[in-house]
Amino acid sequence: MMSLTTVSLTATLKKQYSYKLRAYNQVFWNLVFLQLLAVLFSLNGVGMMGSSSESIEVTIHYYSADFVVFFTMIWGLIIAIIITTKAYRNDDFTFVTNRLSHNLSNLLFLLTACLIGGLTAMLSANVIKVITYFFDGQLIVDSTSLTSALGEFILGTFTTSLYIFLCCALGYIVGTLVQIHKVFVVLVPVLFFGGLFLLGVSGNETIVTNFFGFIFKESSILLFMIKVMVTSGLLFASAFLLSNRMEVKQ
Amino acid sequence: MSVIECHGLTKKYERNRALNNLSFKIEENKITGLIGRNGSGKTTLLKIIAGHLKETTGEIKVFSEKPFNNLTISANLIFIHDQMNLPTALNLQEILAAAAKFYENWDAKLAYRLFDYFSFNQSQYYQDLSKGMKSTFNIILGLSARCPLTLFDEPTTGMDAAVRHDFYRAVLKDYIAYPRSFIISSHHLNEIEDLLEEVLLIKEGKAHLHLPVEDFKEWAIGIQGKSSIVQEWTKDREIIHTKNIGTDQSYVVVRNQFSDQERQRARTAGLNLTSVTASDLSVYLTGKTEGGIDDVFNHG
Repeated sequence: MMSLTTVSLTATLKKQYSYKLRAYNQVFWNLVFLQLLAVLFSLNGVGMMGSSSESIEVTIHYYSADFVVFFTMIWGLIIAIIITTKAYRNDDFTFVTNRLSHNLSNLLFLLTACLIGGLTAMLSANVIKVITYFFDGQLIVDSTSLTSALGEFILGTFTTSLYIFLCCALGYIVGTLVQIHKVFVVLVPVLFFGGLFLLGVSGNETIVTNFFGFIFKESSILLFMIKVMVTSGLLFASAFLLSNRMEVKQ
Repeated sequence: MSVIECHGLTKKYERNRALNNLSFKIEENKITGLIGRNGSGKTTLLKIIAGHLKETTGEIKVFSEKPFNNLTISANLIFIHDQMNLPTALNLQEILAAAAKFYENWDAKLAYRLFDYFSFNQSQYYQDLSKGMKSTFNIILGLSARCPLTLFDEPTTGMDAAVRHDFYRAVLKDYIAYPRSFIISSHHLNEIEDLLEEVLLIKEGKAHLHLPVEDFKEWAIGIQGKSSIVQEWTKDREIIHTKNIGTDQSYVVVRNQFSDQERQRARTAGLNLTSVTASDLSVYLTGKTEGGIDDVFNHG
């Protein structure tokens, strides 16, 4: 008799995590592509200000990596949806897994992806600077960068990653709902946009603005961290619970 | 300890029952053939054993545990089927390396020897393989994982005859070297009957027969002769299959419960008694008792 092997959840998680980093490498190529595209858009500048007097003329162009951050957030949303699709789900069930380790290893993978996305989004500011330096050729007034303010750079990376992570959580729950029933493909956007529209029409748009303000206008980093962690934690937990009885279908 | 035990297993999809009150028990270290027509519930059963699907009612135990959402069961069995999802970003060699990490008993040497034998190229991608090559690669995974329970669902889909025979031989050799449990579902019973120890025949979601292969081969007997005589000889017996040959001859398959004496008398009465091959018998048992495709066309 062949003896049964016993496996622990953590050991399986480690294997699945390292497997996913290799098997899902496509998402990182998507990231490179999207961020380069966003850098290209950013070269237009986010604002311009000019003033002149008789002898002097000043034009200020503002450049920022906001576009890159925004694109990376969209990327986070999309990859989270993608890894809940059948093709990726069933990859796991080919090898050793249960639903919990499948979801947890996805969470770990997304966390890693968010950190990489956040870091590269922050670094892209340097790319924008270099390009504008060479092609605009005028005086650059520096802002935060890796070399000038390491602390701010780390903080920036961290908060950017958290924003991306929030998008991942949103994508993951939406993707899971769609896997449970196809009706959510229609229902989710209808509820989202319909909700926005109805609230706007009925004059209750403050609910939406308050909600976005709750996350995006938080000035204390600690509170912001807690808010994002709790919100995405709730989203992930509901996705885990919903998919825990889900069957594998070809 | 039995490897699989199930009682009253039922699986409903929307309205129809894929499995209907199925009960059986498979002991360890056996090669069991899962036989049934298309849509008889073979794949559903294997998916439930593998923990991919959850039973609607009834009870199933694999290695004395419920298989659904069970990490231990997942680590101790491998389910090979023709719709395997393998990562598209990894080439064949990387897939083997990934599988090696997941399965504790993985035999890397065997994997690479089979890989070379079937002339795979390490830098190929799974999605670029032909149907037969995909099946061949799947069986490399199935055999090398060396799990205590290996499930093969139609493993030979798209394979040519030579590769099919290599596969049967490979299973047998590996089974002898490392005895473990296999369940193989296949339409080619004539090709795998020498490999099997047991046959589990399912029909309309129920276990119809579960016998050792030797008993299965002698389970029925074919009687051919003049219709009137055949009818007389088979009237109180369990008729499995009937077929008219020409105008006055017929061939009837009945349950083999004849004594030697009776056989002798039947022969003198001008009847021709023949054994029924396992694959023919499985077709008769899983089909309808009367009529066949001919009757569809002979409607007058």
